[in-house]
Amino acid sequence: MTTGSETPSSTRPRVLVIDDSPDVHRLLKARLKQEEIEIISSESGEAGIVELKAHRPDLVLLDLDMPTMDGFEVLRAIKDNAETVHIPVIVLSGLNSAEDKVSAFDLGAHDYIIKPFELTELRVRIRAALRLNFLLKMLAQRAQIDGLTGLWNRAYFDRRVQDEVARVQRHDGALSIAFFDADHFKSINDTFGHPAGDAVLQGLGQIIQRDSRQSDIACRYGGEEFVLIMPATGPADALAFCDRLRLQIEAVVWPRHPERRVTVSIGVAGATTPIGVTAAAWVEAADKALYTAKKSGRNRVVLTDLLAGHAAPAEPLRKAG
Amino acid sequence: MGTGNHTEPLRSRFAGDAEMVELVHEFVQELPQRVQALQGLMRASHFDELRRAAHQLKGAAGGYGFPSISESASHVEKLLHAGVGQAEISDLQSRVDELAKLCGRAVAA
Repeated sequence: MTTGSETPSSTRPRVLVIDDSPDVHRLLKARLKQEEIEIISSESGEAGIVELKAHRPDLVLLDLDMPTMDGFEVLRAIKDNAETVHIPVIVLSGLNSAEDKVSAFDLGAHDYIIKPFELTELRVRIRAALRLNFLLKMLAQRAQIDGLTGLWNRAYFDRRVQDEVARVQRHDGALSIAFFDADHFKSINDTFGHPAGDAVLQGLGQIIQRDSRQSDIACRYGGEEFVLIMPATGPADALAFCDRLRLQIEAVVWPRHPERRVTVSIGVAGATTPIGVTAAAWVEAADKALYTAKKSGRNRVVLTDLLAGHAAPAEPLRKAG
Repeated sequence: MGTGNHTEPLRSRFAGDAEMVELVHEFVQELPQRVQALQGLMRASHFDELRRAAHQLKGAAGGYGFPSISESASHVEKLLHAGVGQAEISDLQSRVDELAKLCGRAVAA
């Protein structure tokens, strides 16, 4: 699944311990041996920052009092970085001072544990932080997923297409974007009922998802419209792939209405090298190609090669008959 | 402090804790080296490093179940935190001696 790689991890959560005292690392490892977690150790703030970037831990246990880069500085660095700001940080300190606690919470710490650790307290606080992190990750992901089809939703597409177009401009690679629209979808709903229409949308989503590559990004754009972002794919490959999808969809026999096949119209906009096109213009070009496909008879793929600059119905791939 | 005149052995709060036995043993074994290092830093007037070492011992001793050692190390650390003038040297020396004595009484089991 496209979304599978970013599901909250079912493997053991990773906990990064940043503390300058080797004793603390030894103690924590012994104390947390029974927990289902993986512990990574850093003996300085600077090393901790490096590990943080390399391992993306689910939780950080952070000592405050360290020479050179202290815990407050590390905490600030974690919370100033958009990629790490969501990782919960439990501050460890021997200083039971209200001022330090307030500063730590102000900087975004999730919790505070006084050394020496009370074993049970340590365990439940770590578990609580990991549970919260898991739920937050799940929530963030749910908010980006279409409930009916399980594909990425429109909001996710809008963000992701910006990223992908920007990336292709920077790195001189190919990119294609395809819009799919189910033909005469309203009549399926009207004739066979909305549950049948929903089953079609789920089925289309499944086919697009299953047949696209791991790196492709399949989204439900809205209504009966889907969109597929295909990184590192030029217009010719995108066209060939989309036409295979079109044929597969056409061949499906739907359990709720075996007598009624479903076809899709597809508009593709692609380029093999970056061309200074904005994401909005790219999307518009694909949408226009879809419109052309609809207008010229449906159940077909129309390609716009953004380098050639105009929409051209793909003659050899147009549906015969 | 109620620990000054005692000579009886000092046991870890975690002496009966199976998870900790090995770690406590290791800590107690390494303790004489730590004390030597502290005394060396004191003689050489390397106060920054002494403060660091006392700080670490404070944390470690607490973690291994020796709160009185932790507290004693904390006294050393606090004195150094304030800065050491000629007047404080003897005070500091006696705190370090006290800490060393206490460490000498620690036993693994």
